[in-house]
Amino acid sequence: MAYYVNRNTTMTWWERSYIPEIIKGMWLTSRRFFYNLFGFIPFFLGTEKDRRIMTVYYPEEQVQYPIAYRGRPVLAQNEDGQPACVACGLCEIACPAYCIHIEPAHNTGKQNQYERWPGVFNIDYAICIFCGNCEEACPEEAIFMSDDCDISMLDRKKMLYTKEQLLTPVADLQKRIEFTRNMYAKWNY
Amino acid sequence: MWVDLIITLVKILFIFAITVGFFAPVLTWVERKQSALMQDRIGANRADIMGFTVLGLFHIIADALKMFTKEDFIPDGANKILHTMSPIIALVPALITFAVIPFGGQYTLFDKEVNLVISDLDVGLLFVFAIASLATYGYVIAGWSSNNNWSLLGSMRTASQMISYEVSMGLTIIGILMVYGSMKLTEIGAIQENFWMWGIFLQPFGFIMFLTASIAENKRIPFDAPEAESELVAGYFTEYSGLKFGMFFMAEFIEMVTIGAIMTILFLGAWHIPFLTSATLLSWFDFLGTTGANIVLMLIHVGVFFGKVVFFIWLQMIIRWTLPRFRYDQIMKLGWKIILPLSLANIMITGLVILALK
Repeated sequence: MAYYVNRNTTMTWWERSYIPEIIKGMWLTSRRFFYNLFGFIPFFLGTEKDRRIMTVYYPEEQVQYPIAYRGRPVLAQNEDGQPACVACGLCEIACPAYCIHIEPAHNTGKQNQYERWPGVFNIDYAICIFCGNCEEACPEEAIFMSDDCDISMLDRKKMLYTKEQLLTPVADLQKRIEFTRNMYAKWNY
Repeated sequence: MWVDLIITLVKILFIFAITVGFFAPVLTWVERKQSALMQDRIGANRADIMGFTVLGLFHIIADALKMFTKEDFIPDGANKILHTMSPIIALVPALITFAVIPFGGQYTLFDKEVNLVISDLDVGLLFVFAIASLATYGYVIAGWSSNNNWSLLGSMRTASQMISYEVSMGLTIIGILMVYGSMKLTEIGAIQENFWMWGIFLQPFGFIMFLTASIAENKRIPFDAPEAESELVAGYFTEYSGLKFGMFFMAEFIEMVTIGAIMTILFLGAWHIPFLTSATLLSWFDFLGTTGANIVLMLIHVGVFFGKVVFFIWLQMIIRWTLPRFRYDQIMKLGWKIILPLSLANIMITGLVILALK
């Protein structure tokens, strides 16, 4: 069924006389102008933190991203300094852009040591598409999307992050971990 | 003799300082900052010196440096002489009009009558229109000499638009002339010492029509068909770069100031404060002596005058960032079919009212 929008193309006499409608538009814009102009004054005097304008001076000021925001993926680091990752390779498979590279290392018979861990864990952010599939695929709660998004570099080779650069303490990721638990518990695989 | 010459030179320097030195550069910043505030943005704030941005005012310096250092490009097949001349032809009339625009009244300084206008012509208003219409040549030559289709189209549009709106502009002014009975801008300004004699009360329709026509003369949105960036790249200055482009830009901003000044003198009481005559103000500052009181009065009047000019610039900018562009045929229709008959009717009604009041 065709749906027609009524665009109100036939103007009334009042609208065709230009002036009142123009004054209406100018009233709207000048109201915004003065509202924002007077919003700046208490901000510069320091009495108010908010300057009434939604835009922020980006690098100097940053907004708190919502917890669902997918920034660069990071590796969770346990309390004893080891990655929570067991090098199963599921994230490597789940990755649609093939940006994760894992070389597993395993226990050679020592007591009180992890059974298996990633010897090499590289993520190339130049390739990563920030889809979050790795986080979803991970069975060990080891890889998470952080809220960090300033990862632009002048050299493409520097975009390749190694295991040491990726490790982030679990304590910093707590909110995201809870979020993913809630999120993925809803979906029954 | 020498004193007169020095006074005139000081006035000329003051006009140059306030138009080329202050208004033209600052308005580029105001334009960006005001549009930003109207659209809930922050606006220009990146240019900094040692970490200080000063609300983005350093962008003025950055812009000037950019224009000075850019390559001055003249396209193949362009007429080099005319191509170089046209920005000057466009800029100079905007400055010359200030010769007859008074920015204050008459003051007695050190037993000398000082009239705050560079040249007090009897036909001041006619002079303003005669000179302002000369600027059209600059735009037309710019488009023709660039050897570019878009430039030529833009300059044709400029020519037709400026000529059509000059007609209605001139006819609108006749109402003002009938009311005040003078073409001398200083006289028109002096009459408006009485608040109820302000042009905006005597000629309300003339005010609206003159504002419309003068914005159309300045080729700013909503009448920016000559430079229409979505249709004609940049109109008549497509092929201009560097300082020549800067001169076109400066001409536009100085014309805004000129329009503001003429509107202030004709319609908004020139340099007068409502309900405060010069005599009252002089008696307030009587304890400073004749010269001191006159200097204070002069400063107040010049400040009030440029305050009103700033208001008109603000109004033009609000209009520029509120309204969309008219189509070309709509511009012509508005000029010839709406404003021209209305201004004729305005003359007739003004005449009848003057006749009835006699």
